[in-house]
Parts: sequence; structure tokens; C-alpha cells
Amino acid sequence: MPAMNENPADLAPELCVLLAAVLGLVNGLFLPRTKQWRVAVVCAIGLVFGLAAAGVAASRPDLMAFGSFAVDPVTHVTRIAVLGSTLLVVVLAAGEVRDHPRESEHYALILLSALGAMVLGATSDLLVLVGAYLLASIPAYALAGFGKDAPGTEAALKYYLMGAFLGVVMLAGVTLLYGVGRGTAYDTLRAGLADAPPAAMAAGVVALLAGLLFKAGAVPGHFWVPDVTEGAPPAIAAYVTTVPKIGAFAALFRFGAETAPGGWAPLVAVVAAATMTLGNLAAFGQDNVRRLLAYSTVSQAGYLLVPVAMAGRADLARPAVLFYVAAYAVTNVGAFAVVLACGRDDLAGYTGLLRRSPAAGLSLIVCLLGLVGTPPTAVFVGKVLMFGAALEGGYAWLAAVAAVNTVASVFYYLRWIVPLFGRSDGRPPPSRAPLAVAVAAAAVSLVLGVGSGIALAA
Amino acid sequence: MMLPGWPGGLAVDGLSAVLLVTLAVVLAAVLAYSAREGYGPRFFVLMLLFAAAMAVTVTASDLLLLLMGWEVMGAMSYALIGYAWPDAGRVRAADTAFLTTRAADLGLYAAAGFAVAGAHSLGLDALAHAEAPWRDLIAAGVVVSALGKSAQLPFSFWLSKAMAGPSPVSALLHSATMVVAGAYLLMRLHPLLDATGWASTLVSWAGALTALLMGAVALAQRDLKQLLAASTCAQIGFMVLAAGAGTVGGGTAHLVAHAAVKSLLFLCAGVWLTRDGSHRLVDVAFGAGALALAGVPPLSLWVTKDEVLAGVGDPALLVVAFAASVLSAAYAGKALLRVLRPAGSSPVGLSQRVPLAGLAVAACGLGVLGLPGVAGEWRRLLGATDDVTPDVWMLVLSGVLAVVTVGAVVLARRVPEPGWALDWLLLERAATAGVVRPVFALARALDRFDDRVVDGAVRGVARAGRGTAALAGRRVEIRVDGVVSLTARAARWLAALARRPQTGQLHLYYAQAAVVLAVLVAVAVLAAG
Repeated sequence: MPAMNENPADLAPELCVLLAAVLGLVNGLFLPRTKQWRVAVVCAIGLVFGLAAAGVAASRPDLMAFGSFAVDPVTHVTRIAVLGSTLLVVVLAAGEVRDHPRESEHYALILLSALGAMVLGATSDLLVLVGAYLLASIPAYALAGFGKDAPGTEAALKYYLMGAFLGVVMLAGVTLLYGVGRGTAYDTLRAGLADAPPAAMAAGVVALLAGLLFKAGAVPGHFWVPDVTEGAPPAIAAYVTTVPKIGAFAALFRFGAETAPGGWAPLVAVVAAATMTLGNLAAFGQDNVRRLLAYSTVSQAGYLLVPVAMAGRADLARPAVLFYVAAYAVTNVGAFAVVLACGRDDLAGYTGLLRRSPAAGLSLIVCLLGLVGTPPTAVFVGKVLMFGAALEGGYAWLAAVAAVNTVASVFYYLRWIVPLFGRSDGRPPPSRAPLAVAVAAAAVSLVLGVGSGIALAA
Repeated sequence: MMLPGWPGGLAVDGLSAVLLVTLAVVLAAVLAYSAREGYGPRFFVLMLLFAAAMAVTVTASDLLLLLMGWEVMGAMSYALIGYAWPDAGRVRAADTAFLTTRAADLGLYAAAGFAVAGAHSLGLDALAHAEAPWRDLIAAGVVVSALGKSAQLPFSFWLSKAMAGPSPVSALLHSATMVVAGAYLLMRLHPLLDATGWASTLVSWAGALTALLMGAVALAQRDLKQLLAASTCAQIGFMVLAAGAGTVGGGTAHLVAHAAVKSLLFLCAGVWLTRDGSHRLVDVAFGAGALALAGVPPLSLWVTKDEVLAGVGDPALLVVAFAASVLSAAYAGKALLRVLRPAGSSPVGLSQRVPLAGLAVAACGLGVLGLPGVAGEWRRLLGATDDVTPDVWMLVLSGVLAVVTVGAVVLARRVPEPGWALDWLLLERAATAGVVRPVFALARALDRFDDRVVDGAVRGVARAGRGTAALAGRRVEIRVDGVVSLTARAARWLAALARRPQTGQLHLYYAQAAVVLAVLVAVAVLAAG
């Protein structure tokens, strides 16, 4: 049992983000429109400080802050992944909303949502979980509709309504679990759920899952993913398919591992199988790269749910989910960065990209092959760990389904990769900043894959 | 030393020295003569290489170097005989000469191999000390290649073909290089021949019979160069006889004297062939050479031939050799008739007159090698101390026979021409029928074997592979293909199905999410229960 305390310094990374968001917002009030880019710098500095603080925290022993905030390896990885991805997204967004009337709000909203995702992954109390869910979601609704155009508005509305519906269901689930488990803290619930009526507990767990699966973009909360990814501004699409997911998977894993409700593994395994299969099948016929990436993230959510299902059953489950989620985050942001750099949504727009811009083409190839799970990229290592966890937990059928899905997924990723080698037409070269993000993300993906031994040992 | 651990190299002893000097003198005379004949640089390069190869051959002290010189000499002889290469006939003649000597050369390769196996050395001196079966095999190989190179029976026909080359080539090839290489080798390896017991007898008889039969062939020839070619075979026969009988001093003296005589005769013949008329000096020189060839006293070949004959012990051999000696007088007389034929006058340059005169002097005067004082010195030089000085009766007899024969021929102005000898004893046809055709037949048979059996097997495997592939394509592939396309169709259908829930209408999303959640509750209840 980690020591109890109420030291705010244990939340330093979260506080850095909060401070940066508030400072950015206040700064934005007084800055002229053309100088608002300084807010981005402030936010980036806040994120970098947060990363540093998270790194320092990771080298310290595990503890529990304020009785509901666990500072353990799951939290460390969640913090680092969220902060790193958010930093990349801020760079992507900086070019997109340059000189926008509400530029500073844009960054502040991203940071606040990221803060919610971090808390989501770190909390071990259902009430804080609900609060984190709302904090992660509500800024994201606003961000989806930030462009005030028809597709953005539609995306924001769908996102919000799906989130509201499943959030209400989640609240009901939390109420149910509180009732049958006699508490909201996970260690209380662990004892309380052991002798709770199974049907009520099952209903409560599924209702709680509804909200978390919505954040994770998994069945049945995946309906918003394609619509929002296509409709929202690209940087925001990259954000909502990456950052909230990190928090959601960490929260799912923590809930499964720490409360150990009966029937957790089969329930999540079914969801995982359905999610990966649906995502892959739906991605087959897509000609819009953003929709393709959206379904790809749905299928990746399915793979990520495999170690979540194995929480508490397999020793490999924790390294698998943590490594996979970090690898997925950086790879996914890289792929979106190339889309942003090229400014095209149709597959035909990527013909000959490798000749037009070798850096963009290679980054995209690395990221897409990474999403397939090709060595030596990071997602490959995550997938190997995921298969290992499934086999260790005795869910060979799930591993088989995941393997078949992986093979099938090659098809639609190749549909995007093959045109890259074609003959180039005279399109303008990709824009610089997103390209740099894409190259950095691809490099990190490779480094993380090659250096996976060190990363896993840490 | 050519190979580490195998002693050998170039060395000059008495025999080598004599041959080198002979080679140098003849080469100088021939090249001086050729300088006015208008040959290109290629001719002189090849001639010099030819002579250099001969020099290596006579100075080599191991079989490896000897083989090198031997082979280069053979190759150069090919190039020189076919010097006028636009004439296909000459190239064919060069082919015949080269392939014949080359085939016989294989004996020397075999001998080298046997020497490594039996004598554990390639040194020429060591060959006689090889163990019994190897020594005989070495001797056999050496004898075959020497007889081939020296155009002895049964290889003589290639020398007839070699006449296709220019006259200076013939002058060199017939006197100081190529053909004498075989005789030299046999004289050099005389201890080996003696050691085997049978080889020296065989070599003696081969030499004597060649001298006799080729003498007859020479007598039958109507073309002067063909006559001279056959006479070369016959005269080399005397040297081979000397090698077999162990008369190295006499054989070498005969070799040197014959080199002077034959190069002189060929150069004179060359003058006649390339010009309409003649020159008195050429006529005189040719006459002197022909008389020397006939063995008329006191000219050179009379003395040297008798020295060779003096060493022959077997009376039967001696009779054959004497008969050959008479024949040589006869064909020399026939050649002499050519000088007596009237011809127009043609100028001959000084650079050609000098070598002709010099060679003529040598051809007449080299008999001094047989004078008592000189002969002892000569034998000591060559290390041939057991040579026998010819008896006076023998000298007188051979001299008288030669003079009488030449006189008779010149007086009668015609000689009996044995018809059977006209075509070089049909040796070439025999070789064609006995060796060339069977080899070609064997090659064709092997070719058919290769085409039908080896190739056929390969093609059969390929056909079988295609057949199997076709079978697999018809029977298996369709089914596999069917399964694959079925999978693809199913995947497409499922993909279309998977996109069906994404209607874009929110109330349907709500309904679907609710239904799925209800199903999940059922799953959870079942799993928890």
C-alpha cells in the first residue's frame, strides 16, 4: 500500500499544464491578434516543464496523493505520453490557427483537455474519474467545432451528443457501483465488488465502460471517431484520436487491475475482438485518408483492449498496455502530421509523395508500417507484448483474432503506401512545421522500437 | 628454378652450346636473306620467337622448361607455316602440321607426369634413374613426342604440309629448329633410352627406316621443295639412328652439317621460286649443297654420315642405313639436275649472296669435324667419348657409292620414281582414316549422347516440371484461387457490412450503442456468473 499524503508537488506535471493553460489564457487577453503565437510558446514551455517534472517523478517511489491520485508507472507513462503527444499537437495546431481570433483559447483548450486525460489515467477513484472524463471531453467538443464550418459543427455536435449520452450512462454506472460496492475508491470497490450481486455489478461495470470506451473510441462508443476525424480540423483530429485515448486506456487498465470485477476479462475481450474487427473491416474501402486513419485508430483501440482485458491475469499486461499506448500515440500523431503537411484527404493526393518529398513519404511509410506492426517500429514491440499477454492470460482465441486482424489490416495500409511510389505530379511541397513533426514522430517510433529493451527495463 | 622444390632451369653444356651456335648462325643467315624478301614485322617477330623457343628447348635442364620451349616452338611453326593466312590452303596445311606435332607432344606431357611419379624430379638427368615401370613409360612418351617433332615415321607427312610456308621458314624449320629438336631430345636423353633396353633399338630402327623410306619418297617427288622436305626426314633419320645407337658425337656433327646444307638448299630454292631466273652464285651454292647432301667426298655429310654409321652395331641396321645412304645420293642427284636445267639470269642482292656463300662454305667444309684431331676435340666437347671412328673401308665404300650414284643420275638425267612413294606413303590418308575419322566419329557420338541423354534428361526434367506445374495450375490452383477470391469477396462483403452502422444519423448511433451495451451487460452477467 503506497503511503498516503496530500503534497501538491506530487501533481507537479498536472500543475505545470494547468498553469500553462491559465497563463496562456490570461496572456491571450492582453496580446494583439498577431502576437498570439506567444501563447503557443507559453503552452509548449508548460508542456516541456510538465515532461521534465514527470520524468523526475518517474524516478521516485510509487505513492498515492490525496487518497485518489496514484503516482505509479501507469501514471508516469500516461503523463509522458500525453504531454509528448500534446506537445506535438500544439506544434501542429500552431500553424493551423495562426492569427485566428481565438488562437489563445485554442491552445488553452488543448491543454485543459490533456490535463483531463492525465487525471483520467492517474485516478483511482470513480468520482475523480467522472470529473476527469468531463475535463477531457468538454474542451475537446469545443475544439472539434473550432473552425465554425459545417463539417466541424456537425462533428462537434455528434461528438458532444455521443459523449453526453455515454457520459450519462457512465454516471449511472458509477452510481450503481457505488451502491453495490459501498465506495468509489478502487481499493474499497475491490473488497465491495467481491460479494456484490453479479447482475447489478455487471450492469454497473458495463455502464462505466460505456464512458471510457467512448473516450477510447472503441465499440460501442466509436461512432463519433470517423465523423469527428473527418470533420474537425486535422490537428484536432490528431488530438482526439490520440490523447484522450491514452488516458482512457490507462483508466480502463487501472480499473480492471485494481478492482478486479468478476467477468472483466471475457467482457473486455469481446469488446476488443469486436472493436478491432469492425475497425479493420470498415477501413477497407475508405478513400478518404482521415476516415481511413479514424477506422485504423478504432482497430488499434481493439488491440489495446487486449492487454486491458488481461489486467490482473497476466504479468505482461501492464508493460503491453503502457508500451503499446505510448507507441501508438507517437505513430498516430506522425501519420496525422503527414496528412496535415500534405493538406490532402483523398488517397490519390498521395501519389508520388515519396519523390515529391522523400522526408514526408518516408515518415508516412514508417508510421503506417508501424501501425501495421512491422519491425523495427515501436508498435511492433507493443503488438508482440500484446500477443504475449493474451497467450499468458489464456486467451489464445483473442490472440488469433488479433493476428487475423493484423494481417487484414495490411491491406488498407498498403492501399495508402503503394501510391507513394508512383509518379509525382506537380503539387506544392508539404508545409514545413507539420513535416518536422512527422519526421520527429517517425524517428521516435523507430528509436522506441529499436530501444524497446531499455524502455521496458526502465 | 621454375617450381619451388623442383630443381631445374636453363643450363648450357657441350651439346647445347653446339646447337645454340648452329641456331644462331643459321638464324643470322636466314634473317639476312629474308631482309630483302619484303616480309612484314610479324614475320621477323615470329621467326625470332621461333628461334628463342628453340634456344629454350636446347638449354632447358628440366622437362617443364623444355615443354614450354617445345610448345611455343610448335605454336610459332603454326603461325609461320600459315604466314600467308589469306590463303585458306596454307592455313589448312598449318593446321595439319600443328595438330600432328601437337598430338605427338602429348607424349611429352605424359612423360613429365610419369617423371614426377617415378623419378620424383623433372630434371632431364634424373629421368634415367626412374624406377622400372615409370622409366619405360617416360621413355615411351619422350620417343613418341620426339618422333613427332622430328617428322619421323609415322608422323612424317606433316613436314610435307609445312612446305606451304615461305622458303626462309623452311630453311630455318628444316635445319636448326623444330625438326632437329626431336633428334636433339633423343640424343640428350640417350642414357634413358639405353636404360630401358628396348627404346634405343626402337629409336634406331625408326631412324633407319625413316631414312630409307623417306629417301624413296624424296626420290619420287617432282616438286623441289617436296623433295627437300622428304630428304630432311631421311637425314633426320640418320640423326635419330645415331641417338639410338649412342653415337652422340656423330649425330651432332651430322645435325650441324645438315643444318648448313639444308638451309642453303632451301634458300636457293627460295631464290628460284621467287624469281624468273637464277644467279650463278645461287646455282653454284645449290650445286655444292646438293653434292654435300649426296655424301660426295670430301664434303661434310660424307664424313658425318659415316661417323653415324660407324656406331651402328647391328648388321641389318647397317644394311638399311647403307641403302638409305645410296638413296640420299640418288635424290640429291635428282635435285642437282635442277641446277643443270638452263634458266635466265636474275640479280641477287649482296645481303643474300653473303649468307648463301657462307652457308655453302660451311656445307662443304664442315667435314673437318671428322678429321682425327678435330674429332677427338669434338667428342670431348660433347662428352661422347665412346664414339667409334669410322673404318677406312666404310669411308671409301660410301664415298664411292655416292659418287657412282650421283654420276649415274646426272648422266642418265632421270631417276626411277617409285609410284608408291609419291604421296608420302599415304601417311596422311592413313592418319585421316585411322585417327582423324575415328576421333570425329567418337566426338559425334559423344555429341549425340550429350544432346539426347544429358540434354534430354535436363529437358525432360524441365518438361516434367512444366507438366506438374500445369497439373497444379489446372487442378490445385483453381481451387486455391477460388478460396482466395472467396475470401476476398467475403472480406469485401464484411467491410461493406461494417460500414453500415456508420449512418451519420445520431439517433441510430444512440440506438446501436444502447443495444450493444445491453448485449455487453448480458455478456458481463454471464461471465460474472
